[in-house]
Amino acid sequence: MKKVLKDANGKRIHPYVPELCEQLREGKVDRREFLRTATLLGVSAGAAYGMAGKIMGTEMVSRPAEAAETPKMGGSLKVSMQVQEMTDPATYDWTQKSNVARHMTEYLTFTGPDNITRPYLAEGWEASDDLKTWTLNLRKGVKWSNGDDFGADDVVHNFTRWLDPKVGSSNVGLFASMVDEVDTGKKDDKGNAVMGKRMTEGAVEKIDEHTVRLNLNSALLAIPENLYNYPTAIVHRRFDEEGGDISKNPVGTGPYMLSEFQVGEKATLKRRPEKYWGDAPYLDEIRYIDHGEDRSAWLAALASKQVDALFEVDVTQIDVVERLPHAVLHQAVTAQTGVARMQRTQAPFDNINLRRAMMACMDHQKLLDLAHRGKGAPGENHHVAQIHPEYAKLPALKQDYDLAKKLLNDAGYSNGVTLSVNVGNATGAWETDTMQALKQQLAPSGINLELNKMPSAQYWEVWDKAPFSFTGWTHRPLGVMVLNLAYRSGVPWNESAYANPEFDKALDVASALLDVEERRKAMAKVEKILQDDAIIAQPLWRAIFTATNKRVKGFTKHPTNYDQFNKVWLA
Amino acid sequence: MLVFIVRRLGTMVLTMVVVSILLFLLLEINSAGVAIKVLGPYTSEEQRNLWLEANGYFRPIYIRYFSWLGNFIVGDFGDSIRFKVPVGEILWPRLASTGILGLAAMAVVIPLSLILGVLAGMREGSTLDRVISVGSIVTTSIPEFASAVFLSTIFVFYLDILPGTSSMSDGFSVVQLILPAMVLILYDFGYVTRMTRASMAEVMTTHYIRTAVLKGLPYKTVIMKHALRNALIAPFTVIMLQINWLLSGVIVVEFAFAYKGFGALLLEASLNQDLFMIEACAMVAVFVAVITQMIADIGYTYLNPRIRFA
Repeated sequence: MKKVLKDANGKRIHPYVPELCEQLREGKVDRREFLRTATLLGVSAGAAYGMAGKIMGTEMVSRPAEAAETPKMGGSLKVSMQVQEMTDPATYDWTQKSNVARHMTEYLTFTGPDNITRPYLAEGWEASDDLKTWTLNLRKGVKWSNGDDFGADDVVHNFTRWLDPKVGSSNVGLFASMVDEVDTGKKDDKGNAVMGKRMTEGAVEKIDEHTVRLNLNSALLAIPENLYNYPTAIVHRRFDEEGGDISKNPVGTGPYMLSEFQVGEKATLKRRPEKYWGDAPYLDEIRYIDHGEDRSAWLAALASKQVDALFEVDVTQIDVVERLPHAVLHQAVTAQTGVARMQRTQAPFDNINLRRAMMACMDHQKLLDLAHRGKGAPGENHHVAQIHPEYAKLPALKQDYDLAKKLLNDAGYSNGVTLSVNVGNATGAWETDTMQALKQQLAPSGINLELNKMPSAQYWEVWDKAPFSFTGWTHRPLGVMVLNLAYRSGVPWNESAYANPEFDKALDVASALLDVEERRKAMAKVEKILQDDAIIAQPLWRAIFTATNKRVKGFTKHPTNYDQFNKVWLA
Repeated sequence: MLVFIVRRLGTMVLTMVVVSILLFLLLEINSAGVAIKVLGPYTSEEQRNLWLEANGYFRPIYIRYFSWLGNFIVGDFGDSIRFKVPVGEILWPRLASTGILGLAAMAVVIPLSLILGVLAGMREGSTLDRVISVGSIVTTSIPEFASAVFLSTIFVFYLDILPGTSSMSDGFSVVQLILPAMVLILYDFGYVTRMTRASMAEVMTTHYIRTAVLKGLPYKTVIMKHALRNALIAPFTVIMLQINWLLSGVIVVEFAFAYKGFGALLLEASLNQDLFMIEACAMVAVFVAVITQMIADIGYTYLNPRIRFA
């Protein structure tokens, strides 16, 4: 009989944890990888930090050292950010929507700015040895703002609606191991059956009022991290019955409640008077003020002290922020990026030689220097960043115009070709700058890149339909998360219409491996398939910036632009 | 005069009808596109068809047009796709905000440009005329987006004495009105001053002014009693047209200062493809254009004694 490992409190420890400790001791994994994997396997953040400290012989704390100043209660924090409609958290497609909702509707887990995922509405979880069964232990004593108790029914309801194709949530991609592919009964233009995804029967199971079990079709390590992806906020079990609109019927478990909401103008969150299940937040009020799409206006608002914080500062504005005496610039190293993705189902991008010719023209470091002032890291055309724990280093890509010309010739474009790429600047003007820089690099090979600039709203209408578009992708703590969201066959956010069973299979393998070294090897295969299929030209990974007034304390920029103001206070 | 006004009103209604037909054909003829904009790109065809049926989009196009026009006349513009509330709830307050900004700008532009224009035109070629002329050309030549940046740099970033944005999120604030109004004043006063100056200079060269001067009338009387009324005819028309210009001209200013007015609304509606908002904004803008044109025509006719009616 297999021995069950337990911690000092009698709680089961995943059998891989001792091996992980050994790997840390031998230097095979670094501290960050250790903490991430240990917490994903259900070890509490405090215990994981303790283990790491013991092994490495250094004292570690799970939170950044507290500032010498004593936090002050009260005050209203004003933030400049676009206020968008925020009807259904499951269908959010902009981080800004989730930022307003995040302080009233909460998540089962919480990934901090350090990329470590901790328990939240789920006070703990256990993964089976094969990572196919996850048991979520929900926090007791949490109350919804309408007075109801939070419990398993809420969580089951959320999983069920996330994986219902009628809802249209991107979570279907994240939790692909909980869905089956079924024939929808419809036929496409060629008469082929149109396949759809449905939640696997029994994939989510209520064990008792505060325990939920997830039964996966395949092993998945990233469940806790997926549960903090921005469209996974937990809504009340009667959310749909009561109108399905969080802005009109704001019911949540968070410490704040929406008191005022006007799209395009402002959103105000006030602290709930009743006792909050967690540590009481310091701020009385959080106010989001919409200053439109002009980032200069955001900065002007900070300069004239009309707001205390900005959603984001453009890379071109950091010099101005540094000159403001009352402002602090915050930077985060991220896996935020942009991909010029090509739909290989549409001409001329059905021609792999054309796609590869484009890749051969790219000098990623130069693109980073030109388009983003060198702030970030060069891309590698496979959407896994160096900061992802499972990142596998592939041979460096080199700019090779002779190869590009040969590939172009093989593709039947010996006299060159003109391509049009859609650019929506949804994540900032750096998108246009990047495509301008790429245009210059493609030109010597005979590829003339035309930029089709459009408003971001218009861009989102065509982002998954147009043959060639440049899309900004936000940070996710694990590489497999974004690959599952964007490149797995048939998932809602698969904007490149990529469908490669070999890739899906390799991704399944990589998503299920606990051993960091083994996972890296598996990821090398995943990355190589994506690189060889040449469906994305990924110029760079970008660092992100924001600015706050000096009186804002306890703030750390989250790499995903998530606002987490529960511990923020005003001096 | 009455016949003239009735004719003008008729022209105005005809213009509005023509514009409404064009607007309807441009934005509403593709009913599938309307459903996608309202329901979003991820909805199924079945959902879209249900919505189209429920909203009468399968009726003949002329019936749809008259129904649409009828709703417009009674002020039912539909629900905003972006704001998720009736269009009127957003449109009218935004129009009022732009009205306030426009009034603030015009309260400075009209007296300032008339005085400077008359002073410059009174003695064409004098030093005063040259100073005013060059000054007004310079300010009019600077586009609004540039003057918005210049003024922000000076008053917000260097002097730190004015708020950088004018979103009025805490309620109406006169201080927040200063920068956007300054940009409009800078841009517009030069233009009206130049028009007034040209008109005044032309009047000053007429025979009746020369006669009045030669008769020995005091210079002040010549200006006030004989020159001014005639010199102000052209500026009156120009000023009336500025009201129309304000509605579209404020887009840049409102965008730069995050002022929640009609111009910014028009831009936001276009960027977000907020169909019913675009339709309402376009109709309101055309209505303001034709009504100000009509008032300008009537005023011009009244002020100009050379125009008489049979």
